[in-house]
Amino acid sequence: MSEDDPRRRDGERADSERSDSERPDGGRAVLDEAGERSVEPDDGATERSAEGTERGGETSEATDEADGATTDGTAVAEATGPTGVTVRSSRIRSTNHWVGFATLVFLSAGLGALTRSRPLLLAAVVGVGYLAYANTTEAPDPELAVERRLSEAEPEPGDRVEVTVVVENVGEAVLPDLRVVEQVPEALAVTEGPARAATALRPGARMTFSYTLAARRGDYRFDGLTVIARNASGSRERELDVETAPASVTSLAPVDATDAVPLRGLTSPYTGRVSTDSSGEGTEFASLREYQHGDALSRIDWNTYARDKTLTTMEFREERMATVVLVLDLRTEAYLRAGDDGPHAVDRAIDATRRVFNSLLDTGDRVGLAAFAADTVWLPPGAGTTHRARARELLSTHPSLSPTPPERRVYVRTQLRRLAQRLDDDAQVVFVSPMPDETSAVIARSLHVRGHAVTVVSPDPTMRDTPGRRLAAIDRSNRLNDLRGSDVRVVDWDDDERLAEALERARRRWSG
Amino acid sequence: MSGTEITRRPGRHSLVVSGVAGATAAAMALAGSGAGAVVAALGTAALLAGVRRANHRVVDVGGLVAFLGVAFAALSEAPAAAVLIGTAAAVVAWDAGTNAVSLGRQLGAEADTVRAENLHAMAGALVGLVTAVFGLILFEIGPTRQPVTTLFVLLVAGTVLVVALNR
Repeated sequence: MSEDDPRRRDGERADSERSDSERPDGGRAVLDEAGERSVEPDDGATERSAEGTERGGETSEATDEADGATTDGTAVAEATGPTGVTVRSSRIRSTNHWVGFATLVFLSAGLGALTRSRPLLLAAVVGVGYLAYANTTEAPDPELAVERRLSEAEPEPGDRVEVTVVVENVGEAVLPDLRVVEQVPEALAVTEGPARAATALRPGARMTFSYTLAARRGDYRFDGLTVIARNASGSRERELDVETAPASVTSLAPVDATDAVPLRGLTSPYTGRVSTDSSGEGTEFASLREYQHGDALSRIDWNTYARDKTLTTMEFREERMATVVLVLDLRTEAYLRAGDDGPHAVDRAIDATRRVFNSLLDTGDRVGLAAFAADTVWLPPGAGTTHRARARELLSTHPSLSPTPPERRVYVRTQLRRLAQRLDDDAQVVFVSPMPDETSAVIARSLHVRGHAVTVVSPDPTMRDTPGRRLAAIDRSNRLNDLRGSDVRVVDWDDDERLAEALERARRRWSG
Repeated sequence: MSGTEITRRPGRHSLVVSGVAGATAAAMALAGSGAGAVVAALGTAALLAGVRRANHRVVDVGGLVAFLGVAFAALSEAPAAAVLIGTAAAVVAWDAGTNAVSLGRQLGAEADTVRAENLHAMAGALVGLVTAVFGLILFEIGPTRQPVTTLFVLLVAGTVLVVALNR
């Protein structure tokens, strides 16, 4: 019976509220509301019994009137209001708040009887009153409706998003002590205002609290509240995990590129920008050879023909399009951060991947995405605007690319085998990883020995302020040097350096 | 990660509620004896320190000492009304204090808990005053001049009955 009740009431409420309109800004209007209600505690407790009698029918009308009165001046048409919630789990327990109080009462009564002190006995009478107060009521079972308003549903990363939560008591019982804690998505940081509040709600009354979040790249859902309802004396409490109507924040990373990424001279058969050692058509002169039947007229060296009447064909360096697959390291080990603040290595790696991806697309290469993650992350190499949009979506919202480490194990060997099957023979690999352990080096090496040209882009998460950290930093730089020794190109990207600078530094070393 | 951390202790307002109630208890004890008032004041100070540090045990001890101050005043022939109000005030100070500590632990110092705390303290004070007035009326102007022990036992019996019926 109790499970059917809230829904039926929700339906009624929704009807009655459709005519109501919302305030343009929850915050200030609610101050009025709170001000109006803050008078209540003065007489609220005395009125509790009176409220019990008028619960029958009057209260809902009274609150509707009150809502209308406060919204009259500033009303705008916005039909949404708090919607009903479903309870995911409910737990009732004793708070042990009044434990031991009875002992004190009987001690003072006994002392009063012994010393024949009437005032002390009377004090014990007061104590008995409190005992009754503490033990005769049970924690209320709150019936709530919740609305969550986001100032922006699709912010840029770094933007501030204000979240306003409205909680309404749609049940028939007074909630004398209601504590609400917002379940903020784990990866998001609350920058202003607590995402928690406590108040007392009579039937039909609302409470509002708001807080500010810093948006991060990704797709986040808000769909839960933790509610703790106590009885008036605070002796019993009920903790609920309620599911609210979902709201979500989706923050897509901007489309920006870095300077051209230096690629290895390994190519696909399509014309592109990577100069190769093979000769053919192109713009850069490579060599001369004897004319063969079928060579294009434009490639015949007419100067030689004028001199000694022999036909020679000019050869040019062929420029081809590269196929590149960017591979991210999203194992738990890669979630490292230099210091306590700022983005961690995986955040930087994903940022680098996005820039490299876009700049490679800009220069006409075919680019794909893959990752060592708990779930499959695979975007086959491609080109064009649709491909760019698809990659942006994947890099921003794929659950494996969220800023929190994976909960499941990442099976490197299986993933490596699968990746090797997917890669074209001529595909280059850009492995983006902070290179936290030997496994990451093994990944780079085994892709290298399978014939793919591997470039490692490695955001540096190490610090050098304590001996232990210095050791870890040296360990990592040795690892990078070993890779360089086995013909893998490495871009070591410092914490305080722009990606373009790191790439430029690496390019100079490679060409020199 | 940057962002606000939760301060797991009560906000400033909690100190005001408990402080006012504790001061009332001490003032009522003063009607009986100076020593009782001093003990009650010391208890209140300990209670406030406990609230500030979010320590349930210190709040409990502070509340107990504050009540002992009132009890000491009662033994020094303080008027019955002062003892009753003092007792209720000590209980309210302790009740508001522990409630504030639980609010602080669950919601942190930054959350707005003023309304919840005020209401809780008001309800506690009201219960104390109603029973005090009830006891005083029965005691002073009741038809029979029964000893207070009778009243006490009667109330205990009534409470036990209500609790048993509720189970």
